[in-house]
Amino acid sequence: MIVSSGFLSVMVMLALLITVAAPIVLIVLWFMDWKKGRLW
Amino acid sequence: MNNVNTAILDSDTGWLILAGFSVIWIWLGWFWGRKARQLDDFMLAGRNVGMALGVATAMATWVTSNTTMAAPQLALQLGIWGMLGYSLGSVGLMLFAPLAKRIHTLMPTGYTSGDFIRLRYGITAWRVFLVISLFYGIGWLISLGMAGGVLIHALTGIDYRLGMSIILAICVTYTLLGGLRAVIGTDFIQTIIILVGIVALAWLAIDKVGFEAMHASVLEERPELLNLLMPAAIMFLFNNLLFGVGEIFHSNVWWSRAFAFRQGVGFKAYLVAGIFWMPIPIVAGFVALATPALGLNIPAADMVGPMVAAKLLGVGGAILVFIVVFSALASSLDSLLAATSDLVLQDIYRGHLRPGASKEQLRKVARWVILLLGIVTWLLCLPRMTTLAALLHFTGAFVASTIWPIVAGLYLRKASSNGATLAMLSGTIMGLWSYFAIGFYVAALVSAVVSMLVVLIYMAIRPDDFEWKSLNEAVEEKSS
Repeated sequence: MIVSSGFLSVMVMLALLITVAAPIVLIVLWFMDWKKGRLW
Repeated sequence: MNNVNTAILDSDTGWLILAGFSVIWIWLGWFWGRKARQLDDFMLAGRNVGMALGVATAMATWVTSNTTMAAPQLALQLGIWGMLGYSLGSVGLMLFAPLAKRIHTLMPTGYTSGDFIRLRYGITAWRVFLVISLFYGIGWLISLGMAGGVLIHALTGIDYRLGMSIILAICVTYTLLGGLRAVIGTDFIQTIIILVGIVALAWLAIDKVGFEAMHASVLEERPELLNLLMPAAIMFLFNNLLFGVGEIFHSNVWWSRAFAFRQGVGFKAYLVAGIFWMPIPIVAGFVALATPALGLNIPAADMVGPMVAAKLLGVGGAILVFIVVFSALASSLDSLLAATSDLVLQDIYRGHLRPGASKEQLRKVARWVILLLGIVTWLLCLPRMTTLAALLHFTGAFVASTIWPIVAGLYLRKASSNGATLAMLSGTIMGLWSYFAIGFYVAALVSAVVSMLVVLIYMAIRPDDFEWKSLNEAVEEKSS
């Protein structure tokens, strides 16, 4: 059961999308915590 | 790896990067640790860690040099399922989310996973658990220390012993200066570096090679890598899933964070960390599929990631990979140093040697324990006793035996002390037997199944009736 190049590209692009979002979300969360004085 | 020349950077550049990051991490460790005078500040970052740092530290700790280096290696050896199987390591983080909430609710003043086993199951189970946990903790520390030396040597040509000594010394120094606050603070920066680095590399591979060319060349030279029914890869998937769950459920690395997070943060932080961690092995790993299209000859499978990066980006790519790998190593090594030293301090020193030690005394001893652990790790890393992968697979038999005693102990009153002790012992023994009799890929699976059966049978024939409030030592001390 060989996967197509379309399957490969969708899988990788989806993974890439979440990985790009991760640092953005982390920085936004950092600013939110920092503003409320709740970093640690 | 030593037998082939895989260095993609010259050693001068390697030294420069190592020196730069050493100064940054050690200064940050000092800066964040200068106000940590109380034991809770040092061991648990004041028990007040927020969402941003909580998510980042869970992600960074779980992204080890294994993730960044072994993900491309697994893609090269096991294809699509290698990447997907590795990404299932995130299931452990997500499943730990409700446990983290439960741990924080039941034990608001707890310090270690050992505290839980001692209060829930008593002394015998606690000692069995400590042997498993310390074996795993020290095994993982040695594997990370060795990985540091091996990777620094492979990437830059710097001698194994020098590289290993330096990365250990850096992590020991800043953990010693700042405790868990330094670990969590640096984890945030290291997470951002790792994520940006692997995204940049993946984007370059897509841009310069493209999915069509990548797919066509793999289909021509290694079609099995694109096969969804590759049996060895499917076995790997299940074993990796259980190994990951066992590692996270029992290890004080994750328990100490559950205690350190602010009320209401634990569940969300672990869940979000799991979601964000899941795609990392795919993004870091798929670049290996570009090797046939790039015409690369890979002398050592575990060097495929750096070699693709160097081919695509030249010196810039090599520097990028080195920084990502260095960050991934440091983020796991520091966490493990802090969590294992907490276990030694709380469960060995206070639990067995000095039961009457005050928090002030423990605060002073904490630094010596970290230093001692660093020295022991360094000594054990010097001879390069076994390969990184073999050591980690070996510990799978141990850690998977703790999954059911911990889950049942947190949620079911009926789970008993004898059942938990026997489950951990029999699971470990059978897991080790299967490791040698069948293969590494079934050790965790067998261990978890045997342990589960023992816990369930004991609950049915000799049920306990545990009082949950016994887990809260602060309430117990007041009432007694």
